[in-house]
Amino acid sequence: MNFNLYLVGVGGQGILTIGELLSSAAFHKEIPVNFFPSRGMAQRGGHVRAQLRLGRGRMGPNIAERSADLVIAMELSEAIKAVRYIRPGGDFLLYEETWLPTAALLGKAPYPQAGKVREAVRAAGARLVSILPEDLPQTDLHRLAPNLFLLGAAVRGSGLGQLFSSEDLQMAIRERWPKGAEGNLRAFQAGWEAPLHLPTALSAGASV
Amino acid sequence: MARKLITGNEAVALGALAAGVKVVSGYPGTPSTGALASLLADKPDGVYVEWSTNEKVAFEIATGASWAGQRALCTMKMSGLNVAADSLLAVAYSGCEGALVVYVADDPGVSAGCVEQDSRQYAEMANLPVLEPATVAEAYELTQAAFELSEAVKTPVFVRLVTALANSYAPVEVMDVFPVPEREARLIRDIDRFTKAGALICMNQHRDVIARLEKAGKWARERRLNSLSLARSSGGLGVIASGIAGAYLEEAIELLEPLGLKREHISIAQIAMTNPPPLEEARILLGWCNDLLVLEELEALIEKEIYIEALRSKFGGRIFGKLGGASSPGQNTRIFDRIGEYGLYQVASGLAKALGIELPEEFLHGERSAEGLAAARPITTCAGCPHRGTYMAINAAIKKHKLKPDQVMVTGDIGCTILGMNPPFNTVWTEVSMGASLSLAQGYVRAGVQTPVIATIGDSTFFHGGLPGLINAIQHQANLTLVIMDNLWTAMTGMQVNPGTPVAFQDQSSQVVDIARLIPALGVEQFYIVDPYDLPATTTALSEAMGLPGVKVVLARRECAIQSVRRGKVDETLRVIDEKCNLCKLCILLTGCSALDILDGRLVVDEAQCVACGVCVEACARGALELEAA
Repeated sequence: MNFNLYLVGVGGQGILTIGELLSSAAFHKEIPVNFFPSRGMAQRGGHVRAQLRLGRGRMGPNIAERSADLVIAMELSEAIKAVRYIRPGGDFLLYEETWLPTAALLGKAPYPQAGKVREAVRAAGARLVSILPEDLPQTDLHRLAPNLFLLGAAVRGSGLGQLFSSEDLQMAIRERWPKGAEGNLRAFQAGWEAPLHLPTALSAGASV
Repeated sequence: MARKLITGNEAVALGALAAGVKVVSGYPGTPSTGALASLLADKPDGVYVEWSTNEKVAFEIATGASWAGQRALCTMKMSGLNVAADSLLAVAYSGCEGALVVYVADDPGVSAGCVEQDSRQYAEMANLPVLEPATVAEAYELTQAAFELSEAVKTPVFVRLVTALANSYAPVEVMDVFPVPEREARLIRDIDRFTKAGALICMNQHRDVIARLEKAGKWARERRLNSLSLARSSGGLGVIASGIAGAYLEEAIELLEPLGLKREHISIAQIAMTNPPPLEEARILLGWCNDLLVLEELEALIEKEIYIEALRSKFGGRIFGKLGGASSPGQNTRIFDRIGEYGLYQVASGLAKALGIELPEEFLHGERSAEGLAAARPITTCAGCPHRGTYMAINAAIKKHKLKPDQVMVTGDIGCTILGMNPPFNTVWTEVSMGASLSLAQGYVRAGVQTPVIATIGDSTFFHGGLPGLINAIQHQANLTLVIMDNLWTAMTGMQVNPGTPVAFQDQSSQVVDIARLIPALGVEQFYIVDPYDLPATTTALSEAMGLPGVKVVLARRECAIQSVRRGKVDETLRVIDEKCNLCKLCILLTGCSALDILDGRLVVDEAQCVACGVCVEACARGALELEAA
């Protein structure tokens, strides 16, 4: 089975970690994988994207437009840049966090409204699940890591679930953080258990 | 063998280790940095690895090692090859002794803001072989082949990757344990090869380099480095796919089969050695196929050679690529652009055009109509970046001279220091190449610019290419102010050491070259050392320097905040005094610092980002920000 995952966000959100964990899980399962992180010149707060391709023996690193089975976007405005890559019927996981560039913060430059972004995703024929930062379950101490939460939700709810089990990713998480995997495992598990089974949530067309 | 998940860069590094490399030198540059960086981190037994001052130096070190019989690897980005070019040509003509492999990474599609050049053109000029992998696994294999070829033919050999490959992770079968190089260095005196003393020597070397390239082509044919698979019956389309374009070919064919593509009518040559051009494969395809399609990112180097071959063989078909035109019989065969990177779309649509397959309008075309809504996100300095203080001080000093920003030329240079071109600073005007800030500034002075001229440069860039420009300015006493923004690291490429990095972070046998001692030794009399976190002092120094004649140097020195924070050096915190803050946002306006945010109608500090540099404290006109002990 071939699968294309397109990831966007801004530097500092841990978007690349999602791709790294999936690459590592694919590597252990001997699923052919090519993972192409691209941070350009981005420091914290800059545009970051990554492309994960699974299943093909020989494949180029870039996902063609209209060819991603799943998009995970972690920043509202950056999500727009991923719309061209989603295939009709693909899953679009939109985490509606906003990182305002300075000019937008000062009110000198526009920043897109959430409704417009959702509209653009739906116009591309994608099945949208949007998650607001405040939707993330709170623990006693602090908010769960959004990237791990999204990973859990994505593996459970999209075609990734046909390639990976929860255990596959748990193993990748433990390997990545030999000490202190617990918080990340909790976030992953919370995403896995979140009521976002993408197809269902999306057929309702509502934000969760 | 062991299966590992590695990047294209690491594949080159491990391929070199597998081939028994002894000396590795290079200069950091996206996207090539990861190759040498991984070797520095691994510290392989018996292998010497260094970041050199610049690519020319690195290439000459690798050459010396090769001429002493060792195997050497030199790594750089495309712009670095321009720096090394002088010696590259000379050494190409001389040839090598031990294997000499040059790893260069190009950036089609420009992910890192640089000249979108095709480095293979140097290979063409220098008569050097080029190996171009299509996948990460091939990068490992072909790097080893490059070492073998280099030593067999005694020529330097290029391994050329592009960004998408250099930075991609994929599983590769690599050696469990790499061999420790055991060769003894030897001294070879051979002025016919290793000097350019006289016309005869030089012309003989020219003859030799041409012969070596031919020999390299023969070596590759014997090894079947390029693969050729012909359709069972003649006719149909011949596809010549080079480098990464070849990685998309199978997928493109699968995609087009339902639209009418017949696999059995397609002959394919996958080209791993792109220089010398694959004339043998081209001849066979020209004789076998009706039409040809050339898949080649950036410049049409192979395609040009194919046209010559087509002329020789009186080929009557069409050649689809970048060079044809509407006047070609039948249809427009110029179907590709020389700009940007190739992906599945280019390969599939190229096949479709060459085969006359109509593609649906939405074929691999996504929905873009909302893209204009995305917020512009200009790259800027990190929270706590010492350069922020320098830009603000330059702007303040210009104001102090009662000049407007558009009256004072501030030349810029390569690296993080160029971020001053962007808002909110808008300080820096130009970016050309390593060290150009200094010489460009002298040009503005000599042109007759009457206002102060300022050149800005980072520490690593200064060592790399700035020194000759400074020496020139001193000799000719150009009226300019040089600001060396010294953060002690080669930061933009991901924190590599340079001659000014403290020894604690370098190989223990290294010695620091201290810019603070270097500048006075060159004879600069107006020399200021400032801490860019100290805005008033930095502004005063700059303002004073701008008013003096001759060459003035301001060394704005403070370690890169990313590095100092990693070691936990923050001992203060920034506090907002809500009663004094009137939300004028001047702090954000002047600093553009991402650690400052407005939340629920209050100015807040993101503790995770703030390093308590205090530059915003200076920016605030109401005393609403202050540092306090953590």
